[in-house]
Amino acid sequence: MIMRPPYQRNSSTPSQRTPSSWDLLERVSATALDEDYAKAAAQRDDDPRGRRRMPRTLGSLGLIGLGLLVTATALQTRSDEPAEAQERTALISQISERESEISRLASRTDELESDVEGLQGTNEQIGSRGEELLDTLNESQLLAGSVPVTGPGVRIVVDDESEGVSGSGGTILDVDLQVLVNGLWQAGSEAIAINGNRLGALSAIRTAGRAITVNYNSLTRPYVVTAIGNPDTLEASFADTPGGQAWFDLQTNYGIHFDMETVDDLTLPAVPDDRLDTQYATRQGQLP
Amino acid sequence: MIAILGLAIGLIGGLIIEPEVPDALRPYLPIAVVAALDASFGALRAYLDDIFDDKVFVVSFLSNVIIAALIVYLGDKLGVGNQLSTGVVVVLGIRIFSNVAAIRRHIFHA
Repeated sequence: MIMRPPYQRNSSTPSQRTPSSWDLLERVSATALDEDYAKAAAQRDDDPRGRRRMPRTLGSLGLIGLGLLVTATALQTRSDEPAEAQERTALISQISERESEISRLASRTDELESDVEGLQGTNEQIGSRGEELLDTLNESQLLAGSVPVTGPGVRIVVDDESEGVSGSGGTILDVDLQVLVNGLWQAGSEAIAINGNRLGALSAIRTAGRAITVNYNSLTRPYVVTAIGNPDTLEASFADTPGGQAWFDLQTNYGIHFDMETVDDLTLPAVPDDRLDTQYATRQGQLP
Repeated sequence: MIAILGLAIGLIGGLIIEPEVPDALRPYLPIAVVAALDASFGALRAYLDDIFDDKVFVVSFLSNVIIAALIVYLGDKLGVGNQLSTGVVVVLGIRIFSNVAAIRRHIFHA
């Protein structure tokens, strides 16, 4: 019985054994010696003249070949070594190069990160500065009248004397409207328009021909003056101003119509663009 | 004696003339050496078994070297050169080991 590995349990004779890699290895080691030696020996035994079983010329030639092969391979391997060593050195220098590059890039990254932080700080400063400027711009626009405004205030309707009431010919003059507007400013108005013509810094109230003009627009009676301001105090404050006094006189002495009412929601248009231009006045100093 | 002399002549001759191996053959040289070693150890074992034969040795030597190199060459062409080299080395290594074991038994009777 042939000894076989324990896991080959389903076979009874060697010929029925399942082929496996184990068999292959077994066979390799079993036939390690070329069978030809045995055959040649058998032939020699049959041949009475039988050659000597000693290595002679041919065998020596084979061994010389072995020696040559071994030295050639050894020499080749040795001559390859410098190249490999060179390659290794080159790789090592490449590695150290890359490493230094990495550290350089890392420091650059740190630099850029701190830059980014600084710029973020600047950005925030600019942002808050921008908000400041926007606030200022908003305020300036409201004060200059370059944007329409809305808010509570008073509406005053004034008109010439009705036909023949006093006989004194009460007609509203540009100066009357100037006094009225002045009184309203004094009483705390923040935006004023006459017949929908917003008064800006360059607006003049004057007579041109037979009509009163504001912002070069001729007005027709009745004159409606709208003023945005504190609705609780505007009316009373106006009455206390010289303008209010003057208009009280106009009412009583010349029969001029004067009708004032408080309104919760007034909308005043913007000053026309041509009344917002400056040609000679330029800013002194920097922007805020 | 003549065998050892041949081996010595081969080794020294190789050292002296430093044979230039063509670049095309260089990858197959190590495998060829392993095959040659296998044939030589087989021959030594046959000699100790008293069945050595000149012709068989030379034929097996040459065929071993050429076939091993050819197998690896073919493997290279097929893209499995490394795996085939490993396979050849394993098989030849096993043969060398078992032959050397047999030689050891002959010499030391153990």
